[in-house]
Amino acid sequence: MKFIIDRFDGKKSYEQTYTVEKKDIEALTLLGVLLLIKQKQDVTLNFTASCRCAICGACGVRVNGHAYIACDSKMTELFEEYGEADAFRISPLANFKVISDLVVDWEPAMENLRKIKPALVAKAEFSEKEGCRQNQEEFDRIIKQWDCILCGCCASECNKLTADHADYMEPFVFTHAWRAANDSRSKDPMIHAKPAVTNGLWNCVHCQECANRCPKGISSADDIAGLRAMVLKKGLNSGVGPAHAKSFYTDLVEDSGRLNEIRLALRTEGVSTALRAGTAITLMRAGKMNPLEVFGGHTIEGHKDLVKMIEAAKAATKE
Amino acid sequence: MQKEFAFFPGCVLTQAAIEAKMAIEAIAPILGITLKEITGWSCCGASQAQDVDPLATLVANARNLALAEKMNLPLLTTCSTCLLMLTRAKTQLDNGQKERINTFLAKGNMDYKGTSEVTSLLWLLAQNAEEIKAKVKKPLSNLKVAVFYGCHSVRPQKDLNFESSVNPTSFETVVKALGAQVVPFEKRLDCCGFHAVYPAEKSVMKMTSGIVNSAAESKADCVVTPCPLCQMQLDIYQDDAQATTKSKARVPVIHLSQLVGLALGIDAKKLGLDYNVIDASKLA
Repeated sequence: MKFIIDRFDGKKSYEQTYTVEKKDIEALTLLGVLLLIKQKQDVTLNFTASCRCAICGACGVRVNGHAYIACDSKMTELFEEYGEADAFRISPLANFKVISDLVVDWEPAMENLRKIKPALVAKAEFSEKEGCRQNQEEFDRIIKQWDCILCGCCASECNKLTADHADYMEPFVFTHAWRAANDSRSKDPMIHAKPAVTNGLWNCVHCQECANRCPKGISSADDIAGLRAMVLKKGLNSGVGPAHAKSFYTDLVEDSGRLNEIRLALRTEGVSTALRAGTAITLMRAGKMNPLEVFGGHTIEGHKDLVKMIEAAKAATKE
Repeated sequence: MQKEFAFFPGCVLTQAAIEAKMAIEAIAPILGITLKEITGWSCCGASQAQDVDPLATLVANARNLALAEKMNLPLLTTCSTCLLMLTRAKTQLDNGQKERINTFLAKGNMDYKGTSEVTSLLWLLAQNAEEIKAKVKKPLSNLKVAVFYGCHSVRPQKDLNFESSVNPTSFETVVKALGAQVVPFEKRLDCCGFHAVYPAEKSVMKMTSGIVNSAAESKADCVVTPCPLCQMQLDIYQDDAQATTKSKARVPVIHLSQLVGLALGIDAKKLGLDYNVIDASKLA
């Protein structure tokens, strides 16, 4: 069977096909296959790998356009996933600059990680002498996010990063911001959450690729939602993103219980945005929108009970 | 095939994608499916409300699920975001949150038990493709279709737990059963950007345009999607998106339910094809 590998020699990109016997690779991981090709066929093939046990995060690559860590991907599983394919396309992680073959440049991503101050800034009550302890429950709250091994799989498939890097960061950066902000020992969660806001927190497109590709089962999308809820509570609520999210909540709890697209547009940006006003007009012209709905839609049956339920939940969290 | 469902239309079907409601209600009786709309269903939170209050969002969806349970029926939706929100709520409730959330539902004399499964129109049709095939009156053999899954139809796989998220086949299975040709379409698993069209407009317009251009390059007659939010994004915003990237291509974008309706020989008007913003009349 064939492994079509996307290569780059520093100047030009090209693909190279390596043929291997299926029986020789069936018991291997994808990393095993890459090592086999390097050892037996082409010593010039470049890739990064180290621990071979899904701890170091060095061997992230794409298979048929989806990110995997090579050492934790059994060939039997890939055969099953892709329906006994007779060829796999192996490429470097997307949304990173390629240095050589499957090796990518991590420096810009690390620069983003530094922005959210991933290290602990401890509360004043902690000292070198007394230490900086947390109980099991406090540790359990952030244990999942600590599992991030910086493999870059989430970043590779993030649709927002693909569209534009300039106003966004790699999903794992938001996960580390969430982890640092929710650490019981942390002096001030906003040290980590604020730079997340200024570097694109509200620009996530909800494609769920990060949650889907993480080999550790972490959902950066959930951590982004968690950071958003946190900053809103802290009063960082200006801008289109917060207004947009809040309008859904307002429709659910304070209005009819259902969403109205025109009210949503008006609440999010007001009437000033030409594009959005145009959208409302397009919807009305297509006969899909009743303009009178702007003044309040038909309230759902049982809405008062829904509000009571939500109020009870709110009261319980305050206790 | 399960014949009766507690129907969860989702907010978008009540207005912005009213044609999807018309189409699903037109195809259901011909397929022998009874859709009983859940009385008093609320917004699922639309992948947004959890950013403000995750607990309130879970409570609202526990109530939605409990309403379906009262009807003793599985819940069916055609919106992929509703599908994901409801599925995730069910998973949370079934894995430890039930008791706590039920103390809140009790304020409205309701109780979540966990007896109603959640499914989508796409999944139901895929599971019964042979039965659907037998009901086709007007095979769409001349129609070249670009299938666009929509993120929340397939991702995260661990939450939806239906098929591979990197190599899904349900949609192709259904479209082939209807007799249409599925064209190779590079962006079939991409994100349309709908959920961030307000805060990340520039990126989203680029994403939307890329999908339309990819479908045009595939020589598709139309893009079909099971998700009404994707349909809305790719249809309503298509002119704007194409203007931002200076692209000329225009491709009709229709709902899965509309495509099924065409194959069942239902009149275009009943399927709401004239509500589609990019002219889809030639598909009928």
